Amino acid sequence: MRVAASAAIFAAFGVVLSSTLAVAAPFKCPNVGGNFVFGQEANINTLDQMTSLTISTRNIAMNMYETLMTRDENNNPILELAEAMTEAPDGLTYTFKLRQGIKFHNGKPMTSADVAASFDRYAKIGIQRSTLDNVDRWETPDPFTFIIRMKQAQPTFIEALSSFSAPIVVFPSELRDTPSMQMTKPIGTGPFELMEVSPGSHVKMKRYEGYQPNTAYQERTGFGGYKQACLDTVTFRIVTEPGARVAGLKTGELQGVEDLPTKSLPELKKDPNITILALNNWWIQIANPNTSFPPTDNVLVRKAIQAALDMDEILDAASDGNYRLNVGFQYPNQPTYTDAGKETYNLRDAALAKKYLTQAGYKGEPVILLTNKDYAPMYNSALVMQQQLQAVGINAQMKVVDWPTSVQMMQNTTEGWNFHFTGWGTQPALGPLATMQFLVQPGAMYKPKGGIDDADLLAAWKDMNTKTTAAERQEAFARMQKAVLEKVYSLPFGSFTKVQGVRSNVKGFVPFRIPRMANVWMTN
Amino acid sequence: MLGILVRRLASAVPIMLMVSLITFTMIHMIPGDPAAAIAGLAATQDQIANIRADLGLDQPVLTQLLRWYGNLLQGDLGRSLLLGQPVLEATMERLPVTLALSAYALVLTLVIGLGSGIIAALRQNTWVDQAAMLFAMIGISLPNFYLGLLMIILFAVELRWLPTGGYVPLLQDPLGWLATSTMPAISLALLLAGLLARITRSTMLEVLRQDYIRTARAKGLPRRQVVIKHALSNALIPITTVIGIIVSLLISGSVVTETLFSIPGIGQLLTQAVLNRDYPMVQGGLLITTALLVLVNIAVDVFYAVLDPRVRYDDA
Repeated sequence: MRVAASAAIFAAFGVVLSSTLAVAAPFKCPNVGGNFVFGQEANINTLDQMTSLTISTRNIAMNMYETLMTRDENNNPILELAEAMTEAPDGLTYTFKLRQGIKFHNGKPMTSADVAASFDRYAKIGIQRSTLDNVDRWETPDPFTFIIRMKQAQPTFIEALSSFSAPIVVFPSELRDTPSMQMTKPIGTGPFELMEVSPGSHVKMKRYEGYQPNTAYQERTGFGGYKQACLDTVTFRIVTEPGARVAGLKTGELQGVEDLPTKSLPELKKDPNITILALNNWWIQIANPNTSFPPTDNVLVRKAIQAALDMDEILDAASDGNYRLNVGFQYPNQPTYTDAGKETYNLRDAALAKKYLTQAGYKGEPVILLTNKDYAPMYNSALVMQQQLQAVGINAQMKVVDWPTSVQMMQNTTEGWNFHFTGWGTQPALGPLATMQFLVQPGAMYKPKGGIDDADLLAAWKDMNTKTTAAERQEAFARMQKAVLEKVYSLPFGSFTKVQGVRSNVKGFVPFRIPRMANVWMTN
Repeated sequence: MLGILVRRLASAVPIMLMVSLITFTMIHMIPGDPAAAIAGLAATQDQIANIRADLGLDQPVLTQLLRWYGNLLQGDLGRSLLLGQPVLEATMERLPVTLALSAYALVLTLVIGLGSGIIAALRQNTWVDQAAMLFAMIGISLPNFYLGLLMIILFAVELRWLPTGGYVPLLQDPLGWLATSTMPAISLALLLAGLLARITRSTMLEVLRQDYIRTARAKGLPRRQVVIKHALSNALIPITTVIGIIVSLLISGSVVTETLFSIPGIGQLLTQAVLNRDYPMVQGGLLITTALLVLVNIAVDVFYAVLDPRVRYDDA
């Protein structure tokens, strides 16, 4: 019944229903017990999920928190703490029926008052609170009904609401007024509950015995689905040094690790106690031009630069050999993927580059590549790009600062740099809206002249946000991507693969946007 | 003695004020937006502006300075922008880790450095001397990051004697602490032990050539008594200065070792704070660290007075 209800909802949104629904019986842990230690590459700053966009926070927090809606294995919106949702025909009201019997880690039953409190806090201090800009108010007519009333219809609202970038996690209402970044000890409804946090060292969680799985599903899917905690405890240990992660995996101190260095893979693959797992489509490496500063204010110069690039060489250096060529701003496994503008990608055409330079009247003005060493892929891709540009006669120069400085320069100045190096990982996975927002004002990363959006881009962006059918919105996205690539408002190089590894006795661990610990078990 | 202590403590106050002002000025002069660092890789300008407003970073620098000093007078070092927790709490969580590791490394440094330096001096120009100085040179030359990696491969991966990393608090599990701290302590100690061994050797050689040592030997005193009571106690004065510097280096310079072995110490905390422009954490954390180093220096001064009566009389 519930499955059918969910199916109806997603059909209405043009969303593909997860194939996991076809499984006959719900997942049951083949083995219960064990202490899983995961070696995480990056430090965590805070576990206050509403106020953080960092992957390291999400990796841990989203094993403890849940949301009203989330994304499935293919990043499509699905219900999580709600069992049904209806949208009014005028698109102004969304009514959520909450699942009953759910309790927080502190034992308190979850009701609509908690959902409302969570929305209240998010609207006040959530890092992505613009998600709720179009929302007029929310109401709680009874303990298991939560209604969102819109100021105006927004066809993409469900896409935004289900985002896992900085999700609207649900916590007990008494925590509503916790100041920004200070909800450091999560109390959620997820399959794991917090045991201890030792900043800079580790975060330890244990199985939440009172967890209520979502019976609309039979299996885990994406961030949601039918989840069960099979492991007794899970420890996320911060191991920033790659060699130490490899050593920990080899000795069995760590049962799982992320971001294994390429040079260690041949040896690890020979080890029967270790399983290597590839997480494809993890990150798109990008350089964005400054179109307000010469010579990249000239589209012909930008086209010359685009024509000169050999993406294989750039990606090989940037990703340590783990990459896929990929046109545009979505990953190839996504339904929203389009190769619109592919004729501009990976041209490796020195003659064409020189022709554009001649047409542009290029006189050897410096092209400054603004990059940083905090993120090695950004530095390495800039280094290779510099060589390739110099090879066609472009006076490419590197400006290397640290990450906060490069962002500040990119945001606050339109002088002194021509390309800013960055990478988008979560946003492409979330879909075109989350990604293409970086190419429109406010904050268009290509620094449009006078701060005025390119008319073609703006028109396509408006259609992406307002067209009522998914097909129309997809067509608008393809149009926007093609325009961006043809006018060289961005240079997406391609996508990286993240390599993870687990001990061979670890089962059910499937790489995803976060290391999901539900439905993972260990054999003896 | 009390006079020395009071004078030294009083002189620490302007030092602390100076350090706090310099720290505040420098961290705000460095380009880079803390809000961008907090927001992460793919934040929009809107999201970064939200963080800036939420954390009061959009206020003028002078306002931020006055607010910081105002809070400091009330014993409030502020709240870390990155961690969301009070600076004092964050620092006090990490400081015991660094202090325990530093103390362990200091013991190893003293045992290895003093021991090999004294033996080398007593066996000058023999193979023992040359072996001890070779060991000292290796210690000084080998980067502790590289040494740490070699130890992980040997003692953790191959021999499985010690864990590859992580940290267990001393009071929670002393044996676990010993297991997790031994390789980091050795990698920290070896460089400093080499330094101490060379200084101890040269100081001891100088003292052993003094007339009063010759006199003591001529009087027929046992060699052990001459070395320990007459030579070492006099050599200790310059060595104490070096040990003071070593303690300061251990407290402030363990960031590479902490990173390699995943130890949540103060070095990592402050490095992350600087890299992410976590202004309150840098200001507060450095103030506390500076206070600690000032105390170490005062302790060294007091120890001078204990070792050498002339210092007491000069200061009287």
